Amino acid sequence: MTTTTALHRITPARVLRSEWHKLWTLRSTWITVLSAATLVLGVGILMGATYTSDGGDSDVDTVILTLYGSQLGGVCLAVLGILVTAGEYATGMIRSSLTAVPTRLPVLWAKAAVFTSTVFVISLTTALITFLTAQLFLNDTDQAASLTDPGVLGAVAGNATGVTLLAVVALGLGAALRSVPGAIGAFIGGVMVLPEVLGMLPYDAVDTAIKYFPTQAAGALGSADPLPNAATPGAALLALMLWAAAALLVPALLLKRRDV
Amino acid sequence: MIRAYELTKKYGDKTVVQDLDFTVHPGSVTGFLGPNGAGKSTTLRMLLGLDAPTGGRSTVGGRAYAGHPAPLTEVGALLEARSVHPGRSAFNHLMALAHTHGIPRRRVEHVLDLTGLTDVAHRRIKGFSLGMGQRLGIAAALLGDPATVILDEPVNGLDPEGVLWIRNLLKSLAAEGRTVFVSSHLMSEMALTADHLVVIGRGRLLADTTVAALVRDAGGRSVRVVTPEADRLLGLLTAEPHVRVTRTVDSLQVTGAEAADIGRTAAAHAIPLVELTPQTPSLEQAFMDLTHDSVEYSATLEGAAA
Repeated sequence: MTTTTALHRITPARVLRSEWHKLWTLRSTWITVLSAATLVLGVGILMGATYTSDGGDSDVDTVILTLYGSQLGGVCLAVLGILVTAGEYATGMIRSSLTAVPTRLPVLWAKAAVFTSTVFVISLTTALITFLTAQLFLNDTDQAASLTDPGVLGAVAGNATGVTLLAVVALGLGAALRSVPGAIGAFIGGVMVLPEVLGMLPYDAVDTAIKYFPTQAAGALGSADPLPNAATPGAALLALMLWAAAALLVPALLLKRRDV
Repeated sequence: MIRAYELTKKYGDKTVVQDLDFTVHPGSVTGFLGPNGAGKSTTLRMLLGLDAPTGGRSTVGGRAYAGHPAPLTEVGALLEARSVHPGRSAFNHLMALAHTHGIPRRRVEHVLDLTGLTDVAHRRIKGFSLGMGQRLGIAAALLGDPATVILDEPVNGLDPEGVLWIRNLLKSLAAEGRTVFVSSHLMSEMALTADHLVVIGRGRLLADTTVAALVRDAGGRSVRVVTPEADRLLGLLTAEPHVRVTRTVDSLQVTGAEAADIGRTAAAHAIPLVELTPQTPSLEQAFMDLTHDSVEYSATLEGAAA
């Protein structure tokens, strides 16, 4: 019989360790992360290699141009976020997780913390490598830029922050909806497509509001020069952080109340 | 020790568990019996804090499950539904659970060994047979060396060797002084392992008893008598007020009299006896009688389906 109860007890650090272990012991994590990095880098190289100074892209922001693939890579990371939460409901693993940690909320916070830091580090590294690689092709064009140019490093970091916080929104959707296809549908429909549809409405108030929607706010973060008709980087960051917080708060409330 | 106090669970209008009161004591195996759909799994999920009761409460080891600072060391549970990610290896699944409590790697290796999974520990669970999945669930239940073990239908999907292994495991866990609570819809299986029984039907408590008492209460013993002079013997036997005789096509079913008394009566009146057989109701029959009115889908009687 156990005499080690005092030694073996749940601590936040241990729940974090468990979630870290869970994240990296599934193939889907490696597949989505490598796909995301490959897409960002591949599209970046493609953009750099095919760019001509007299083409139609001269007015595109340098950072946006080189990190164009982060929209695709971001979808991969959003899917990973959904798998981290909704995947546990799909497989039944959640019953094991919540039997081990019956106070429940530490599991969600640990998932969010492990996922956010992992995705941010990966996105930032990928964005830096991609920017620098693409610039090898662009150094004699009108899109030549370096990390030390005004706004460039901030935009590269902003791109990674935007991708990360969007993926956190996806993770929250997965936790709230408890279904992988449901959450992917909600993310693509609600976060990516809906603002585009709303943007067609002829109301100024709608246009103003859309600037602060997650995808649009993330876009504003990743531009070296302020975009026309976009939120300022500070406001965009604040808006995106509020979206991410709300996306975690809703499933936290549900997790406390619903049966598993 | 597990205690349930007026535990109730409703889903909308449907009451799945109603006012369930029972105590499971340490040191013996307690069977949790009921037909399919009786509310066994729901009750176990409430004990583990996975489902919130609509009314009442339960404690395991003196407090609500979620109130334990190290629940895996208090209660180990095997749930009926698979509770694993099939893409992970058995070792990594157990290690993920162990990390939450700071349980060391050697304990994970120990429970893998105990359940005979060492050879497949690094294979993905996806390829496991039903029996291997059950063994993994039991390995997870034993991970924290818990004082209480709750197993939902542990023998499901096991081969005869596995069934025997579970029986011995349950008995040895109880012998070590642990509380062992095992659900099943098979009376015959429980008869071989359990000392105590909690029987439910349609979410209500039908019996909280021992295996021996359940049989005794199930109408007691009777004697089957076959004789060519059935009418005469029937008349003689029923002269005694406490003797009841049921007549079937070819035999008499006598309750309230011992076989020896019936034999003496017959001999005294020179009635030839072809057969004189004392009969004990089977546990299966006792269980069926008890749950007769509470089988949710009466077309698929228990036992027959399994």
